[in-house]
Amino acid sequence: MDIELSTEDLEFRNEVRAFFEENAYKNGEDFNKWRMDWFAKAREKGGWDVPKWPKEFGGPGWTPTQHYIWEQETATANLPWDLPFGLGMLAPVLMAHGSKEQQERFLPDIRDRKVNWCQGYSEPGAGSDLAGLKTKAELSADGTHYVVNGTKIWTTMAHIADWIFCLTRTDDSGIKQQGITFLLFPMKQEGIEVKPIITLGGSHSVNTVFLTDVKVPVENRIGEEGQGWTYAKGLLQHERTGLAGISRSLVALEKLKEQAASVPRGNSTLMDDPAFRGKIAELEVDLWATEYTELRSLASAAAGAAPGPESSILKLKGTEIQQRIQKLTVEAGGIYSASWGAKPAGPAFAKNGMGGYMSSRAYTIYGGASEVQKDVIAKNVLQIKRSSK
Amino acid sequence: MNFDLSEEQQMLQDSVARFVQDNYELDKRTELVASKQGFSDDNWKTIAELGWLGMPFSEADGGFGGNQVDTMVMMEQMGKGLVCEPFFASIVLGGGALKRAANAEQKAALLPGVIDGSRQLALAYAELQARFDLHDVTTTARAEGDGYVLNGHKSMVLNAATATEIIVSARTSGGQIDESGISLFIVDPKADGVKLENFPTVDGLRASEVSFENVALTANSLLGELDGGFAVLNATANDGILALAAEAVGALEVLYKDTVAYTQEREQFDHPLSDFQVLQHRMVEMFMEYEQCKSLLYRATLESVQGDDATAQRNVHALKHLIGKAGIFIGENAVQLHGGMGMTEELRVGHYFKRLLVIDSQFGNADFHLQKFAA
Repeated sequence: MDIELSTEDLEFRNEVRAFFEENAYKNGEDFNKWRMDWFAKAREKGGWDVPKWPKEFGGPGWTPTQHYIWEQETATANLPWDLPFGLGMLAPVLMAHGSKEQQERFLPDIRDRKVNWCQGYSEPGAGSDLAGLKTKAELSADGTHYVVNGTKIWTTMAHIADWIFCLTRTDDSGIKQQGITFLLFPMKQEGIEVKPIITLGGSHSVNTVFLTDVKVPVENRIGEEGQGWTYAKGLLQHERTGLAGISRSLVALEKLKEQAASVPRGNSTLMDDPAFRGKIAELEVDLWATEYTELRSLASAAAGAAPGPESSILKLKGTEIQQRIQKLTVEAGGIYSASWGAKPAGPAFAKNGMGGYMSSRAYTIYGGASEVQKDVIAKNVLQIKRSSK
Repeated sequence: MNFDLSEEQQMLQDSVARFVQDNYELDKRTELVASKQGFSDDNWKTIAELGWLGMPFSEADGGFGGNQVDTMVMMEQMGKGLVCEPFFASIVLGGGALKRAANAEQKAALLPGVIDGSRQLALAYAELQARFDLHDVTTTARAEGDGYVLNGHKSMVLNAATATEIIVSARTSGGQIDESGISLFIVDPKADGVKLENFPTVDGLRASEVSFENVALTANSLLGELDGGFAVLNATANDGILALAAEAVGALEVLYKDTVAYTQEREQFDHPLSDFQVLQHRMVEMFMEYEQCKSLLYRATLESVQGDDATAQRNVHALKHLIGKAGIFIGENAVQLHGGMGMTEELRVGHYFKRLLVIDSQFGNADFHLQKFAA
């Protein structure tokens, strides 16, 4: 057992820090130009623009420890914005199940941040029970295209997306996990209507997407017809491991402590309030434990082992911690957390506190609700078998 | 960075696991607990022969030069069987104080016997008024002639009844709660003026109330620097917390796994209990808390070996807090999910739960360490 970073890892960390420093946004710079230049320079470093892609697809081929260092450093650095849908969710499916033509057609534009993708999974009748989806894709008589009809919901960034990867039903004769087909199609076309959903935080990021007689050429199908669930399931696992956000929570907790120390309370500050301080401490202990749970999980991945039982709890613990930080931020804001939009007085952080907290309630719902995660752990990790009764 | 055990540690782990498997089925443990002494001389001999008692001592001291990771490996396995032999009291606590503070003469006189098992140690640190504060000491050692005279009372002294030496913290200067002015002494339990009142603890181990009335101590009874005992005591307590936490992690694994197994066997409402989602989710929570405890155990142990003192100390506080909290959560739910059977002495879950409750109370409970962590 050894927690020290090797000389190579320390050198890598310095290299990452130096890169972030050299390429930080400078005031007055054109934001879009900076963003695109940043990714270009990251690419020249040897695939740093696509850290999670495997080496054969142009990724950096880092060790798990290097990934961990990257996560830690990105939590404090100011990186250009990025969306996970193409890069982190569709790309692995294309790499594993797409044809060579599909890979050559779609991966470069994803990598160049030219095309924004959204994920067409959930439906009004299929949330946690995703396999119950009903959006219908019918093959045309000449076999050249599918005709897609149905409704997708909670589609993040559908309003700015150029393309969608979409789960559709091509057959409903078997069990519901069968007969699902994975299709790709452009968003800006006839038959697609995007309607915004404003969530509790007051922001617009999710949408309802109505699909009416949308034509999708068969060459836009990933893999085989009816096998989409298998492809999507792998993707969900990919999505879940990325949601723990430990490094970001460590930074957010330090910020919360600073904020609380700026809130007056009697002759001292909120950080001297024993009850509040106790909650911060309890949160920090849980975060420390979760950080090591992640490290253990990375270490077993480094050894080439299948993810150990500890990996399964990361999404659950990580998202719960993120929510607790948001909740304590609201508490720290006191009466000023009640302000919405324009803010009359009080600390600056209080203005967005409630919005952040409200938005954070989604963390334990998306990417597999916490209760679904627990079902999965009970079955796969504790290996509890449902009786046939 | 890696969390793999070395080949030697792997062998040590296997060897302790085998010992537990061979000697610690519930019936056998119940017999031991009911015996006068509370543990087995044969087991103790085996443990000594296997070399475990020498693990945390340096090679110069006649040991194997192991560190807190090695102790963790052993204690985790011992926790799976709730081993009664006084490895913790004699080696981790008593031995921990000795190896840190003893002079050459004291080491030569005591360590060979401690390592071969012919001597046993106890550490007397707790006092009635002190609750969890190691520095709250009213027992006094007054200098007289070449030596000292010891007066006072120590509480809940683990393994005092079978100890050949008791290491006692006493005030040699300063006020009641000053960290400076505390000294450690090696005391013969059979000396005039030492009185032991022995009793079993709820987890089946043995402890004593120990009083000292004008006990005459020689100059060489002083262990470490005069007035400088607190640092030794605190460092030993930190090692003690790491060891108890490792034992707890072993016990927690048994508790959650026994519960998962039991709910699949027991049928009610024409279903195995494990069919019910409310129970499945509870067991998942037990499993998650176990994994989190294990993570923090690794973290605190490795920081204690490799990190700076302040970081290590904060990690120890974090660990003891979580172990206390999660231990009670998992213990209560293991009993709950075993239903009426969980309330009986026939199943092992109740015994493990009791041990976890005692562990929470030793060297500061969950609340105490949360406050220290937050300070």
